[in-house]
Amino acid sequence: MPPAKTDKDVRPGARRDRIAQWFAVATVVCLAAILFGAAGLNILMPGPLASAHGGVEACSACHTNSGKTKLSWLHGLVAGDRAADSKACLTCHKMPETALNAHGAPADVLKESTVRLTKLAMEKTGAGSTGVQGLLSPMHVGDTRGPFCGTCHQEHQGAGFDLRTITNEQCQSCHALKFDHFDKDHPEFSNYPFETRTRIVFDHAGHFGKHYPETAKKEPDKRIPETCSSCHDSRGNKRIMAVAPFEKTCASCHADQITGKQRVSGPKGIAFLALPGLDLETLKKKNAAIGEWPDGSEATLTPFMKVMISRNDNGRGLLAALEGLNLQDLSQASDIQIKAVTDMVWEIKRLLNGLIAGKASDILADLNIVQGTKLSASLVGDLTASIPRDVLLGAQQQWLPNLGSEIANGPMARNAEVDSKQQDVPAPAATASEPDDKSDDSESADTAPPEDEKAEAKAERDPPACIMRVFGSCLVSKEQSTAANGADAPPILDETPDAKSRLLPADPFPQPMRAGLSDIPPPKPVELAANEAQSDELLFPTEDELRELKSRNARSARGQPGQSGAPAGAEAGEAKPVISIDSGVDPEAWADIGGWYRQDHTIFYRPTGHKDKFIYSWLFLTGPQAPKDSPAPVAAVFNSFTGKDAPGSCTKCHSVDEVRGKGRIVNFGPLTAASKAGRFTRFIHEPHLTIKDDRGCLTCHSLTKDRTYLKSYEQGEPKTFKSNFDPVKRDVCQTCHNSSKARQDCQNCHSYHVNGVATPAMQTKLPASVK
Amino acid sequence: MRHATGAAGPTFKARTTGNGFGTAGFLTRGLLPFVMIACLSGGLFWFTAIYEGSLRDPRYLDGWLLAGGMGLQLFFHIGIKSGIFSPRSVLRWRTFHIVLGYLLIAAFVSHCDFSWPDTAFEWMLWIGFVLVTMSGAASAFFAWSMRSKLLADSSLSFERIPIRRAELERDVQAAIMADDPAHTALGLPPPPYDAWIADLYANQLREFLQGPRHALAHLIGSQRPLRHLIDEIDEVSRYVDARNRDKLGVIRDLVIEKDGLDFAHVHLGLSRGLMFLHVPITYALVVLTVAHVVIVYAFASGGW
Repeated sequence: MPPAKTDKDVRPGARRDRIAQWFAVATVVCLAAILFGAAGLNILMPGPLASAHGGVEACSACHTNSGKTKLSWLHGLVAGDRAADSKACLTCHKMPETALNAHGAPADVLKESTVRLTKLAMEKTGAGSTGVQGLLSPMHVGDTRGPFCGTCHQEHQGAGFDLRTITNEQCQSCHALKFDHFDKDHPEFSNYPFETRTRIVFDHAGHFGKHYPETAKKEPDKRIPETCSSCHDSRGNKRIMAVAPFEKTCASCHADQITGKQRVSGPKGIAFLALPGLDLETLKKKNAAIGEWPDGSEATLTPFMKVMISRNDNGRGLLAALEGLNLQDLSQASDIQIKAVTDMVWEIKRLLNGLIAGKASDILADLNIVQGTKLSASLVGDLTASIPRDVLLGAQQQWLPNLGSEIANGPMARNAEVDSKQQDVPAPAATASEPDDKSDDSESADTAPPEDEKAEAKAERDPPACIMRVFGSCLVSKEQSTAANGADAPPILDETPDAKSRLLPADPFPQPMRAGLSDIPPPKPVELAANEAQSDELLFPTEDELRELKSRNARSARGQPGQSGAPAGAEAGEAKPVISIDSGVDPEAWADIGGWYRQDHTIFYRPTGHKDKFIYSWLFLTGPQAPKDSPAPVAAVFNSFTGKDAPGSCTKCHSVDEVRGKGRIVNFGPLTAASKAGRFTRFIHEPHLTIKDDRGCLTCHSLTKDRTYLKSYEQGEPKTFKSNFDPVKRDVCQTCHNSSKARQDCQNCHSYHVNGVATPAMQTKLPASVK
Repeated sequence: MRHATGAAGPTFKARTTGNGFGTAGFLTRGLLPFVMIACLSGGLFWFTAIYEGSLRDPRYLDGWLLAGGMGLQLFFHIGIKSGIFSPRSVLRWRTFHIVLGYLLIAAFVSHCDFSWPDTAFEWMLWIGFVLVTMSGAASAFFAWSMRSKLLADSSLSFERIPIRRAELERDVQAAIMADDPAHTALGLPPPPYDAWIADLYANQLREFLQGPRHALAHLIGSQRPLRHLIDEIDEVSRYVDARNRDKLGVIRDLVIEKDGLDFAHVHLGLSRGLMFLHVPITYALVVLTVAHVVIVYAFASGGW
């Protein structure tokens, strides 16, 4: 007997419902079987990846919560960092820290832009779909959070899908100002493309209207640009109209301004090292133990020396103490200031000695120009323009011939000696520090030490100052020579490493520098006694010779030819080797192609031409440390190069930007596409070059009569700018970019990622060496 | 007798002209739902496009609209099964079920972004939805078609059709066998045209009345078999007396009703058969949809 049918069985559709339930169960079972039977989780993918991401195999590479097991992807249902997946994108696509901001732009830029666009939006209401969109996506000022990567770049759309595709509506969804088409409601361009001033200061109007015509009139052979493309082209980078190199454009008129040839007044070189002029008389009165110091120097402490002196705390304190002090008039100086001047003198001596005895790179590498950063060898090379040692050596021999022994004995030892022995040797004429009125023999004898000590003290005593130098030898009076070295003591050439740093007057040349001089007999000490009769020693000059020597020495002090001093023997008519070539060429003129030269008591550097590394490196390094009105020594260096009549005239054309918190930056580099990072608008010149009308570039860039262009560069804010050209009008673009002609979508002119996206090269380890 | 009066004419006419309401009625009751569905679908597409332009993923919008609609459809099914609807509200819910089904087509097309599926899982979802929708739409069409073309009681159920058919057969037989009281009283032999009616029944009507006939013709909407039978009956009617002419008129009405039952049998049968596809696949689709939602949110990358 068959079982009785229940109510459930007889209900209409009961059989159908049972089938449906079995269907549901079968579906669950099938899904589970597929999930656990499949090799990976690709079964869950909503579609193939784009071609660029085709190599990504693990879901977890992008879906950070998904894990790698069969069910670990369920972790994604748990709320976590919503930006985690976007951050995963940034592991391959390198972007700035502000990557997840709207447009990847800094918050302050976004806020400024939003305020501006919101103001514009207040003036008009969105029509049609943009109005509804405004309701769906209300804009909030100050909301910098941008969409996630996946919001715009929707993956799993197939290998051929362009992930960068985005519609105008999507672009506008975040914007307060919404409009339907570029040719309809796009706001007027505010000041495009002149939001930021050009890096090169070039007064187009001034050149077109004044300089070119005048030059053509005066110098018809000179090359005057005829068309815009004489100076601009877009072949290098289609996004910008780059300026042709200096040599092809500006050099014909401006190259000589750099080297100083066109300079009418002032030095044509840059004073690098100098012995500043001092009020020696006052110093002498106040018994300031400065040792040897040249008289007649009118130089001032150069900014470079200030930088070098201020490389440590003592140096900085020293400069602070000297602030506002006139070194050539110390009559009103306090004892503390006199002490500071004395210390400065010795600091300069040590500096000069260090530059000669050591390596310039050792001194300059310690400079505190870049905070906490050691300067590289190449940079030091640029900072010194590879100054030859001989330049320093020559300067030292002329200015401070006894520097070596002074440094070796040290100011303190010397001062102590002066105090204890009352300076039994008369001070040289050019020396102000040593009291010369107390050279009393009896007193000296009273306080004289034992013979051995006396001899040692004499050996360490500063040699007397030169009356003049002869081939590196120092001409001194006989008494001085005797007092310093003993009556017949020959010049000592100490070969010990320590003593090598001392520049002994008798033989100032280090061994390597003696090459080629073997046939020259070593110079002998010359005794000079103005009041004595000429000795029978050949090297002692006669009175006539002495006068001539003095006159030459005076000429030398004035920087005239023959400054190195003529050999005494030559004056005496003896057959002596030629040790100096008399030249009528001024040292500054001699260096007209650039380089180092010495004049008076200063070592100058004259720019070699455009892109001079010396000036560039100093400006490059000091700029960031030199905010405007900064009293720091580096700022003084920077100012010395950027003044109106500064040597090199770099900043006459290269604009100087003052960046808050970053000092000043000279815009040496040309405009590049990279330098346009952060800009919201993009324009590529090249496609437009063939469609211009008869007016050419002036179709878009109409020259304005406004003459305030150059004033824009008298301040440091690059955004404050008045161009020679009128801003580009929106109407000009709309003549072609409209619904019937050229593209007018947002991305045609605007990029979302204003700072760009970089994909660095993969990190590949070098293969192991083959055994 | 239920169909003793001459109602065959209007009945037949009504079947041939459709649902019976005029032009205005057609515009208001026939076209309006479709216009409304089309407008709502277009509105959904437009709103989705605006939503997409707002840098929001419209697949979440139309996806949840689709899921919500499917939930309502499922609620209707559960309501029917659990008997929570009154008979009157069942009719309203059924109408809502059908209209919502058409709207969900728009949501589905939008959710698919007007493109074909890319993966196996998406194909499963796609095929499931398409089968459910097509079976539901076809079922609704057959039900609508039956109600509009057959002036029968709309409450006629598939199970009652065989019963009613048997009743009709008996009625026809009764009509044929009915004697003339005058002839019977006089003891006269039956007139020859009674035999003609008997022949008509034996050769044409008996087989027609014994079960469902002309299924294919009903499926394609052809009335040719019915017209042939009616022509046969009308042909005989010209040669009989008035009494038999009335008899043939009754038979004629019954034949038309039987044809209507065959029509209803075909449509209700197909409609019920489609439900065997519609409901089980709906259950499977619900499972797939839940899995789909879970997967989507597990792998969401902030786009919503």
